[in-house]
Amino acid sequence: MSEPSSTLTVDPKLLEMLVCPLTKGPLVYDRARQELISEKARLAYPIRDGIPIMLVDEARALDDPPAEPAGSRA
Amino acid sequence: MSGLSQAFTPLFDKAALGAHRARAAAGLGRHDFLFREAADRLADRLLDCKRRFPLALDLSSRGGILAQVLDGRGGIELLVESDAAPPLATRPGGLRVIADDELLPFAPHSFDLALSVLGLHWVNDLPGTLLQMRRVLKPDGLLLVSLLGGETLTELRQVLLAAEAEIEGGASPRVSPFARLVDAAALLQRAGFALPVADTERIIVTYPDALALMRDLRGMGESNAQADRRKNFTRRATLLRAASLYQERFAEATGRIRATFEILTLTGWSPHESQPKPLKRGSAQVSLAAALTSAGGPGDAGGAGTP
Repeated sequence: MSEPSSTLTVDPKLLEMLVCPLTKGPLVYDRARQELISEKARLAYPIRDGIPIMLVDEARALDDPPAEPAGSRA
Repeated sequence: MSGLSQAFTPLFDKAALGAHRARAAAGLGRHDFLFREAADRLADRLLDCKRRFPLALDLSSRGGILAQVLDGRGGIELLVESDAAPPLATRPGGLRVIADDELLPFAPHSFDLALSVLGLHWVNDLPGTLLQMRRVLKPDGLLLVSLLGGETLTELRQVLLAAEAEIEGGASPRVSPFARLVDAAALLQRAGFALPVADTERIIVTYPDALALMRDLRGMGESNAQADRRKNFTRRATLLRAASLYQERFAEATGRIRATFEILTLTGWSPHESQPKPLKRGSAQVSLAAALTSAGGPGDAGGAGTP
């Protein structure tokens, strides 16, 4: 089984155990946008290359307009 | 910073720490001997334990050094690696998360084992981090972490202080304050771990000179990230003076200098009914006086020495 490099997805086992680091509340997986959404914190945590970035500083505020996809790599 | 406002000034500058780790990541393989050694020692402790830990967490995983040395120890089937800096390349196997050690993104009772190799000396709130680690453990789950302790880099701390005072007429924090063994044991208890144990060991490393030591620390991603460190470059004269003081005070017969690394290892169990614990005060069924007389008097009670 070779891994397609561009379509890395998050392991479902990992998704199951992740919560919002701030509120410890549940997250909703937005597959299309590759984000984990915390309704309670009003934040969307990005997933890059299949790796969830659970940092508050990197999260998008839900009330802000969504950033253009694939544009924000440091 | 969105959302989090801190009333106190944090000890460590997390952005600087992240930058140091990211900068070190590419060449870490040349500077990771201490992490490898500590990871190997930590993994060895799992052999002392008859239990198996199918689901484990590694905090401050630094590109997966622990995962590489584990070699089946502890019966770990799935290791979730968490670090504040993104990994350089994706390796097969293992699950990775980018997270702050102080804001864990894991649901309660997720893991059988929580590990961390030489990372937690960088957290601002060690009690809070340990508490969060306990919460993500299943009941009767094991915490097994190592972090740098108070004697670490004591030589470097002394010579930098002396050199800076001598050349620049003042001193600034250069080497992190590290937790001491006594504090560590108390913290484990405070975080609610059962059967808490903290112990310490020292690793002495020798280098050609102090500048080589400083280069190595930088290569490890462990350079100064204290919030109130001096942000400008250290003067060359100060560094050279520190190096020469180091040579004077801490050289071995071979001319190489010694650097101490103290490794604190903390273990504790997430509480569970099956664990031994003291009885509730006042719950005794027999009076102490009766217990002493039935044991045959104070002379024999201890039973020490007489076969």
